Amino acid sequence: MTAQGTKHSLWGVLILVLAIVPLFTGSQYVLSIAVMTLLYAYLALSWNVLGGIAGQLSLGHSAYFGIGAYASTWFFVHMGISPWIGMWIGAALAIVAAVIVGLSSLHLRGAYFALATIASAMVIKTMVENADDLLGGPRGMEVTLLRDAPWQFQSTGKEFYYVIALVFVALALLINWRILRSRYGYYLAAVRNDQDAALALGVPTTRYKLYAAMISAAMTAIGGTFYAQFVLFVSPDKVFGANLGVVIAVVCIIGGRGTLWGPVLGALLLLPSEELARSFSGGLLGADMMLYGLLLMLVIWYEPRGLVAIFQRWFKRPVKQGVTK
Amino acid sequence: MSIYLQALLGGIATGAVYGLIALGLSLQFGVMKIINFAHGSFLMVAMYVTYYTCTNFGLHPLAAAPIAAVVLFFVGWACQRFFIDGIYRKESAREPIGVLIFTTGLWIFLDYFALALLGPDSRMIDSPWSNEVVIMGDLIFTYPQIAGFVIAALVTIGLVAFMRYTALGRAIRATGQDREAASVLGIDSKRVYQLSFAIGLGVLGIAGALLLPMYPVNPFVGDIFGMRAFVIVVLGGIGSIAGAFWGGIIVGILESVGSQVIPVTYAEALIFLLFLGVMYFRPSGLFGVEKE
Repeated sequence: MTAQGTKHSLWGVLILVLAIVPLFTGSQYVLSIAVMTLLYAYLALSWNVLGGIAGQLSLGHSAYFGIGAYASTWFFVHMGISPWIGMWIGAALAIVAAVIVGLSSLHLRGAYFALATIASAMVIKTMVENADDLLGGPRGMEVTLLRDAPWQFQSTGKEFYYVIALVFVALALLINWRILRSRYGYYLAAVRNDQDAALALGVPTTRYKLYAAMISAAMTAIGGTFYAQFVLFVSPDKVFGANLGVVIAVVCIIGGRGTLWGPVLGALLLLPSEELARSFSGGLLGADMMLYGLLLMLVIWYEPRGLVAIFQRWFKRPVKQGVTK
Repeated sequence: MSIYLQALLGGIATGAVYGLIALGLSLQFGVMKIINFAHGSFLMVAMYVTYYTCTNFGLHPLAAAPIAAVVLFFVGWACQRFFIDGIYRKESAREPIGVLIFTTGLWIFLDYFALALLGPDSRMIDSPWSNEVVIMGDLIFTYPQIAGFVIAALVTIGLVAFMRYTALGRAIRATGQDREAASVLGIDSKRVYQLSFAIGLGVLGIAGALLLPMYPVNPFVGDIFGMRAFVIVVLGGIGSIAGAFWGGIIVGILESVGSQVIPVTYAEALIFLLFLGVMYFRPSGLFGVEKE
């Protein structure tokens, strides 16, 4: 085995061990934090396809998350369709929404695009809040409680959700990895780095950005279904909130936009420290979100490319010094 | 009929204050090409500064306006000097996304810091002046509405004149048009950036003082008005000061007349739809001139 191969398999073993540890702590509290961490790692990976790899700063991903959460819940409560199937309906609806939002906003750049995504998410949220008869309006909907029904995406044990979240993260990593390694991924990188140059070289930028938006939206919607089944309750404030759209982006940006492991690193740093902030601040209102804001400012100020770049800098420093000497 | 006329004129009055809120944002974008997502949170800070100077020192809300303006001016200067400048210079891209992300962090931090420090309650100043009215036939105007319109208009005219006729104003505009060419002519772009960020926030300080008698302050008040400020900037054409004023009036009218015609819960969505529509059909703004 080559040195590179040994290093990779060591990392693989380490990650596997870390991933399995929470299952053996036997604490439902630790597990629920671990599940939320994995969910946000998954959401950040979903966001990464559009916001990181394609470089389109969307702050309105809450719209797709909400669509996924509401779709599976509605079809389960009203039609008795299992959320395992409902989540694909949610993903399909999110793709439709992404096409509508994308066609009206993807020609915009940078900050304009970010603003347009917030505005679109707020329009969708307002529509849901006003749909009293169909979707329960501002009060939201409850998922019918079945206790232990794995085929209906429900369980009383947190282990069930932890394993599913782990699989979701693994699949999202695989999708990101495939895109990063493909010709399509290089086109998206070209769009991110210099859109005009990419266009001049014949990359159909708007179409490729739209594909990225569709993949990203569908993945995010599936995360929404997971959340609905985990919490067993959806409401416009919880799943369509403007905060959520920002937090999804923040997790990925702090970790490292456009990288494979950045979104996971971001979630591993932010979610547990959010929980710590909440328990150590003695119930101080807003301490967790203050921490988000502060960390975001610090990381961007120190290294705009995020945690992955910071780690790379630390690891590479001795090598560089050796060369210059 | 007079209901609609009342809504129209009331909308113009509050709209002028909205325009003043957006003005600083437009100035910052026009000169530095940066989007300051913390703008709404700075408005919240301005409103709290006004609130506490009024309640603690018994000042008239209008007398608190210059104080809020000075405080916010220095906050803006320090913010640009110590944080944004460094991030801005690290980026070579034409659209500095780093600043946008940094100010997003600042926005979240300021909102929740205010929540932790001051609590979630909405606060309104207790001044008899706020409730006095002028009656003209069927129409009623409150003193804060009249003062808001007059002062907002005066500040806008003053700033347009400042940008057009003073050496400093010309230096700011020159830097906005071409940073390199301006620095060849001996303009210190760093100082210009600090000043334009500070002036933008100083104007916002006045706007916060004018808004407080009409609208109670809470830690998240900036979210609503910040988003509206972006809509206004886009409507008026980015970088245009007079455009921000007219954009503000359009949004004010849309909001007050719109809520007479359709349910209030939809009125907010109406403003966002207008924003998306303008972005789609006229990205340079309703009054914007096609440049470059």
